[in-house]
Amino acid sequence: MFFQCVMLAVMFIGAPHLTGVGPAKGDTDPAIKDFNDRVQRYWDLHKKVEDAAPPIDKKKEPDPAAIVAHERATADGIRAARMNAAEGDIFTPAVQKILVATIKQELSSGRGATARAMILGEGNPKNPESPARVDLVVNAKYPPNAPLSTVPPSVLLSLPKLPQGLEYRFVGRHLILYDSKANLIVDILRNAVR
Amino acid sequence: MRKTNAIAVITILAAAMFSYAQNIQLPMKKDSVKFAVIGDNGTGDKPEYQIADKLTAAHQKFPFDFVVMMGDNLYGGEAPKDFGQKFEKPYKALLDIGVKFHATLGNHDDPSRQISYEKFNMGGKHYYSFKPKDGVRFFSLDSNYMDKKQLDWLENELKASGSEWKLVYFHHPIYSSGEKHGSNLELRTTLEPLFVKYGVDVVLTGHEHFYERIKPQNGINYFIVGSSGQLREGNIGKTELTAKGFDRDNAFMLAEISGDDMFFQVISRKGETVDSGNIKRAEKIKKITTSR
Repeated sequence: MFFQCVMLAVMFIGAPHLTGVGPAKGDTDPAIKDFNDRVQRYWDLHKKVEDAAPPIDKKKEPDPAAIVAHERATADGIRAARMNAAEGDIFTPAVQKILVATIKQELSSGRGATARAMILGEGNPKNPESPARVDLVVNAKYPPNAPLSTVPPSVLLSLPKLPQGLEYRFVGRHLILYDSKANLIVDILRNAVR
Repeated sequence: MRKTNAIAVITILAAAMFSYAQNIQLPMKKDSVKFAVIGDNGTGDKPEYQIADKLTAAHQKFPFDFVVMMGDNLYGGEAPKDFGQKFEKPYKALLDIGVKFHATLGNHDDPSRQISYEKFNMGGKHYYSFKPKDGVRFFSLDSNYMDKKQLDWLENELKASGSEWKLVYFHHPIYSSGEKHGSNLELRTTLEPLFVKYGVDVVLTGHEHFYERIKPQNGINYFIVGSSGQLREGNIGKTELTAKGFDRDNAFMLAEISGDDMFFQVISRKGETVDSGNIKRAEKIKKITTSR
């Protein structure tokens, strides 16, 4: 019943409203505009699925268990609704070029070395200090025992803005679009740090 | 239920006995804002439990109302059992008597689970502020993900907070003598101008697994409290930044704000006071005097 509701919700997703989404730079570029639209469509889906998921009932279960159950239900619903999602659906080839160039520019600037160290340093699951296996697959769960990379403010301020709950993170040199509320990998941009 | 109560009573009695081993020196003024600081604590290992015991003992003499957590609240897995083993169990005695914990996110924390976890009092947010009392405001930031939205929020909050004591806390230190990480210059470039502009008084961080008090920078007092579970022994390098450092054992901090004074005392796992002092908040000039 839950998944039927989700599928129904997906069918009725209306036109994206762009509140909270928009690039920090290059907002006139068609590729960025298209990226924002795709991000917003994903986020609208997330909200519908999350609203349909069983609410967190802290009276019924201990607090953390209820949170995890809600997160899982949301993730399952999104996976079911995006069964055929593939790499590049949101990070389209056109926007990939822009994002890679933006990251490259920031990492070549005066404080680029610090920013690079922040991305690849402890916290990045590929760093030997904090190793964890993360399967880079669209719709895969981000392992709860894996750390999340720290994203330098200079890079974040240059990339297109995302709705709260959707984040840019790095796994090794790869950029992922990470749904922090459902703990899901939404899309992957490989070798974003060059 | 009776068994649980008995255990709680035994824990509190044991804590009371331990408190004699710790020489709590804060002024302990009436009506002051009393709090504790822990960081990088959530290992679930013995040192975390030992520091938690010391914290509980300190509470007997210095009844702080809340604890601020500098991040890396839960290392490794974050299944429901981990919340128990790495947080609820070690701090049970304090939680049972109503001490509140206000967490910030570290690079080992899973935001989706922790921000909604009631006992971390984050209200479902990555960053938030709270006011324990008129005249004092705390700002918890997510230094893992400092985007424009968060920076705008911080600026608006600082602007609106007027002449209150402003204490900002987050995971990554922007001043540090750590040989492992050191100062995070990216974050410093982004955050420090706001701190200076809006008269932030104290910045508390973790990430480095030791304790360090930095000499005031641009009128702001910086502390690193990142050894309440983890410890990176001998990792404080020789720099001009250090006012006091302690990297030989785990530690936590007690603090108290009364009028224009913030008193602090840092206690090790063995119960030794490793640093203490008083930050004087006088208009824009903040002087620090230390007794150790």
